Amino acid sequence: MADNGLWSNTDAQSEIIDAPLNCNIWLEGIAGSGKSSVGVARVLHLLGRGVPAESILIFVPQRALAQPYITALRRHTAHRGGQVSVQTIGSLSLQMVETFWFLIAGRAGFKHPNDLPNFLSLELVQYFMTRAIEPLVDERDYFNSVRIDRPRLYSQIVDNMNKAALVGFPISEIGTRLKSALASGVEEAHIFDDAQTCAIAFRKYCLERNMLDFSLQLEIFREHVWAEPSARRYLRGRYRHVIVDGVEEDNPASHGLLRDLLESCDSALIIYDRDAGFRRFLGADPDSARRLRDRCDLKKTFDETFVMGAEVKTLGAELAAQLDLSVPLKCDADPRPALITEAHRYHPEMVDWVARQVDMLVRERDVSPNDIVILAPFLSDALRFGLTDGLSQRGIPIRSHRPSRALRDEPAARTLLTLARLAHPHWRMAPTDFDIVFALMTAIKDLDLVRAKLLTEMLHRNGQLLPFAEVRSTAMQERVTFDLGERYDRLAAWINRYIDDNRVDAIDIFFRRLFGGLLARAGFGFHDDVDAGNTAQNLVDSARGFRWSLDFMSRYDEKIDLGLDYVKMVDRGVIANFYLRDWIADVEEGVLIAPAYTFLLNNRPVDYQFWLNIGSEGWSRRLYQPLTHPYVLSRGWSPGAVWTEDDEQHLSRETLGRLLLALTRRCRKAIYLGYSELSESGYEQRGLLLETIQSMLRRHARVEQHV
Amino acid sequence: MSLSADFAFTQGSLQDYADCSRRFELRFIKRMRYPALEVQEPLQFEKRTRQGARFHKLVQQHLLGVPAEALTASLVDDEELARWWANYLARGLIDLPVQRHSEITLQTHLAGRRLLAKYDLLALEPGGAAVIVDWKTGARLPAHATLRGRMQTIVYRYVLAGAGAHLYAGEAIPPERIRMDYVYVAQGGERLSFEYSAAQMREDEALLSGMIAAIDRAEVFPLTDDVRRCRYCSYRSLCDRGEAGRLEDFDLDEYEDEDEQEAFALDFDQIAEIEF
Ligand code: SF4
Repeated sequence: MADNGLWSNTDAQSEIIDAPLNCNIWLEGIAGSGKSSVGVARVLHLLGRGVPAESILIFVPQRALAQPYITALRRHTAHRGGQVSVQTIGSLSLQMVETFWFLIAGRAGFKHPNDLPNFLSLELVQYFMTRAIEPLVDERDYFNSVRIDRPRLYSQIVDNMNKAALVGFPISEIGTRLKSALASGVEEAHIFDDAQTCAIAFRKYCLERNMLDFSLQLEIFREHVWAEPSARRYLRGRYRHVIVDGVEEDNPASHGLLRDLLESCDSALIIYDRDAGFRRFLGADPDSARRLRDRCDLKKTFDETFVMGAEVKTLGAELAAQLDLSVPLKCDADPRPALITEAHRYHPEMVDWVARQVDMLVRERDVSPNDIVILAPFLSDALRFGLTDGLSQRGIPIRSHRPSRALRDEPAARTLLTLARLAHPHWRMAPTDFDIVFALMTAIKDLDLVRAKLLTEMLHRNGQLLPFAEVRSTAMQERVTFDLGERYDRLAAWINRYIDDNRVDAIDIFFRRLFGGLLARAGFGFHDDVDAGNTAQNLVDSARGFRWSLDFMSRYDEKIDLGLDYVKMVDRGVIANFYLRDWIADVEEGVLIAPAYTFLLNNRPVDYQFWLNIGSEGWSRRLYQPLTHPYVLSRGWSPGAVWTEDDEQHLSRETLGRLLLALTRRCRKAIYLGYSELSESGYEQRGLLLETIQSMLRRHARVEQHV
Repeated sequence: MSLSADFAFTQGSLQDYADCSRRFELRFIKRMRYPALEVQEPLQFEKRTRQGARFHKLVQQHLLGVPAEALTASLVDDEELARWWANYLARGLIDLPVQRHSEITLQTHLAGRRLLAKYDLLALEPGGAAVIVDWKTGARLPAHATLRGRMQTIVYRYVLAGAGAHLYAGEAIPPERIRMDYVYVAQGGERLSFEYSAAQMREDEALLSGMIAAIDRAEVFPLTDDVRRCRYCSYRSLCDRGEAGRLEDFDLDEYEDEDEQEAFALDFDQIAEIEF
């Protein structure tokens, strides 16, 4: 063991950390074997040896995976010098395209090469995709046989375009690939042709307006920026030492860039998790990642886990073997003590049981809430609420993270949107009574449901809020109270003044004016409320991004009623309440409640895991996405091959096997299984996870009987 | 609630503390975001800050090798920005040492905390001058004495002296070699310069470590007595400190949009459906 001052390293770890500064290293192994710790220590070692921090690049598939590096660097207070860069292919390609834009825009086919580029967020891609292709879809009756809503259809077209860019084939090949692998009849072939036509139409729309969605940004980076000598010189000159973590979760586009950087850099450490590759749906390609191994001078393998107890280790291996995955781990412990479960008939009983077990772990066994996670394949609002409520009542802190939570579901955002509708009658989108009750309750401090209902019933008339004085009955006024009535009046007067003044503020400015001018003042609901402030800021940021894009567009197209379109987008759930600061907050204390894959990509082991809804098919089945396919659009797919039901079955088993292996490798002590005979929506459930666990338990019971 | 253990101080956060300790507490300890308007004319304000940001980007592009003509061609629709740009091209880089680093962040440590400075441009020559250049796009030229007392002048020179060795052939930069130039591109490229010295560095160190220690010790963060500072502060409604001020009275060069903590671009996959 060697000591670097922060922790003790094994000899194998030290060999990598202290390797010469001109050496490319490949490190592969299982989760929990200390690979990332070595990565972190290597970065600190480089700094300690006087390598300029600016010349170090930490490259990860998703920012969350860089958290151990960021934390270590922030705690490394003794460092004097520059800053280490942390990049993903998304952030790096954006910076490079933006910087070298005026050198490459013309030859990349943009119609206005002397104008600035407009980089589109996912929500703006959805919006412009709808504008660009909806007329075509309506006119030609595209996708008429597909029964999913249009936003989800369009997001699959976007997904296809992203895959083409990440994997490296032209978007004009999307239709052919999908058709030859998946189309079993003329009808399906048409659908893939339609998807192809829409992708090309959207690409043309973007090129004509200097807009870049993620796929175009990446394509421009690869085809044009990387071919531009000054850009290449800059990147190669800048990053002399490269640390790559989670390379198996990255895509061929990233691997191509890394391959080039490996040729020119002084040193590299590439970390590969042998049993991962969960982000296939986002283009992850472990086989492509593995080819980087040949470019490395030193190759090391870590197979010893520092995380799992013996029983959990066996559990992971046996579950994976049950699903036909071979795991080269020596495991001879009985896995059953690592599994704790209790069967329930109804879903709420299961949720209650989970809350009680967590409470017991925290209070009786002194387990830190940070060392417990509650996982489900998907996290519905009802499930999240049930768990949050059950744990909060017991005084247990919670961190809940769901990446795609819609902004409309946040109380502060809902309130601002309802008030915006009231203040813009010309939109003809008057809110319902239900929305107004909710908005009044949130906006006016201490106003309860009963009084909010009374006020709405008495004073809301066709999208207009009447003054409190219009309540004729003194008894009613007293029931509401004059104090609350006065605050209601200030709110109604603010809205009515805005209408009377004929103000048409940009929608984000409207939100800010309403926030600062009223809702954040004493006596109102957003005053001194951190969550409301954060949500309001997210709404403002998102609406402002939308306005800037539309302003930008207005030089090429007709003007659009920004506010109305924005509110419609939020209503459709397109806008998500997800910004960087929420991730930072995510580092705070509490039991994590998250979808299983989100937990994996956070890559932090815990003592106890709760797997909920173990009967659900969601643990093993892909979402229904008829227009796209992660395997057919991957680099490894052979042209002309056909995707069969057998392939789908095999994929389900393999996906679940890898998931269970990955989860158990991030668990130290035990797994609690949440099972109810009837699902959240009241159906019997018998998914592959349940079946796998039962088979394993039956096998152990049989062996015992024979002994 | 106290400041997180890995918090990094910057000129912006220290200036906030110097202006109003309550603002510091709200922004950096409670991390409370408060999207109220800073000024009465938000769209004009936004236009000026975006122009400023665009100008900084242009200079960075130029310094990374994009030819000036390609950048000039992109400015036909913004006369004001084109004028700033012409002033930069004419005078911005005159007499600066040839080794240049644009948009670079350095870090040193003081009183057990990290102290960061994000520079527009560092121009150095090992053994020779080390010049910090900060582009200003505001409409007014401040008094020399005012600028001397700003945390930016204090922090930027101090951090370079403590953390710039790797840019200076591995030798610590002697304070006497350091100069800070504010270049006012809206004022014909006028330059206000501040030399540095070992004595000034000692004085700055005492001031900065005193501030950091005071923040770390503080239990209460009182509201400023100078209500003029509240006019452009987004926490006005929380503190009940009146209405937003007029843009014409506001010095845009004092405005910090983002805190200078390490920031990352958003990835496309952050809000993708979790699916497999
Ligand atoms: S409004 Fe005034 S008192 Fe309140 S934080 Fe801002 S500057 Fe300080």
